[in-house]
Amino acid sequence: MIEVGTLLLMGLFAVLVIQSNLLRLSVIYLAIFSLLSSFLYVIYAAPELAIAEAVIGSGLVTLLYLAALKRNRVYTVAVVSDERRDHLTDHYLNHVERSKALTEIREFFVRREYEVQTVFVSETLDEALRDPAYDLVVAEDEEGFATYTDDESYVILELELMFQMHGTDSALRFIRYSPEAVL
Amino acid sequence: MSEVSREVSYGEESIILKTMVGLLYPFIMLFGFSVILNGHYTPGGGFQGGGVLASLFVARFVVYPVEDTDSERLHALQRLFLALIVLVPAALLFTGVVARYEEFRSAYLTLMDILIGVQVGLGLGVAVLRFAFFHGVGQTWHL
Repeated sequence: MIEVGTLLLMGLFAVLVIQSNLLRLSVIYLAIFSLLSSFLYVIYAAPELAIAEAVIGSGLVTLLYLAALKRNRVYTVAVVSDERRDHLTDHYLNHVERSKALTEIREFFVRREYEVQTVFVSETLDEALRDPAYDLVVAEDEEGFATYTDDESYVILELELMFQMHGTDSALRFIRYSPEAVL
Repeated sequence: MSEVSREVSYGEESIILKTMVGLLYPFIMLFGFSVILNGHYTPGGGFQGGGVLASLFVARFVVYPVEDTDSERLHALQRLFLALIVLVPAALLFTGVVARYEEFRSAYLTLMDILIGVQVGLGLGVAVLRFAFFHGVGQTWHL
């Protein structure tokens, strides 16, 4: 009875792992599946396997998947239009899209195997800096493109280091701000 | 406007997580060692106990995800234990010590369980730490 129930639950969670829309949720379902299978090993009188399955299946593997998911997060680069412009024109979008600065930033993220998406925002620079949805804010002024990041962003530090080490074609500047100063 | 919300890091400071992991930490360690040391009488043994010990690394990482563990040194230690796992049976089994003295048999099994347990614990722990603190494709560790 317990055996059949456990097997049915395992089947249910196996389907849930595949069907769930959130990868994070899938990982948790997989951990539950693993725990149920370790319970099944106890019923089948294999306690050694049960211990190994519980520790590795629902402990270590879950953490590895979560760490892998964290790597796969999407970085959002916000491009702030110049304050002199009232709205985003096609001409401006093309100009930014073809700029070397943005290309190099994208190359960096692709090289690090991060996913990157670029959004053009009509907010002012201060508003964009305050928005937690943006990881990196790029703005253009008279001297060219500049990125604005807070001090704690270590990915951007890597970007800066890469530009220093390998050289850069774009005159991209890095401007650091402390989040408190903006708020 | 971007609709992508910033994902909550699982290493975020949660007082519930911190307290519970802190409470459980010594018990996980005790359970791991008891599984290793009683391996020749009860279910368990070196590999299973080592897996439990490796989950200590995981527990620590979940609460305090800071890279301050010297994984190179742990890896070297793990290789030392791997060498011992080969050398100890060679020294004790092939010379006939275990076969000659029956009372050594239990001690020999316990010793092997400890060696395997520590080796597996360190190995899995190092694997998890290196994966968690992976710094990119270009940088690999010396194997």
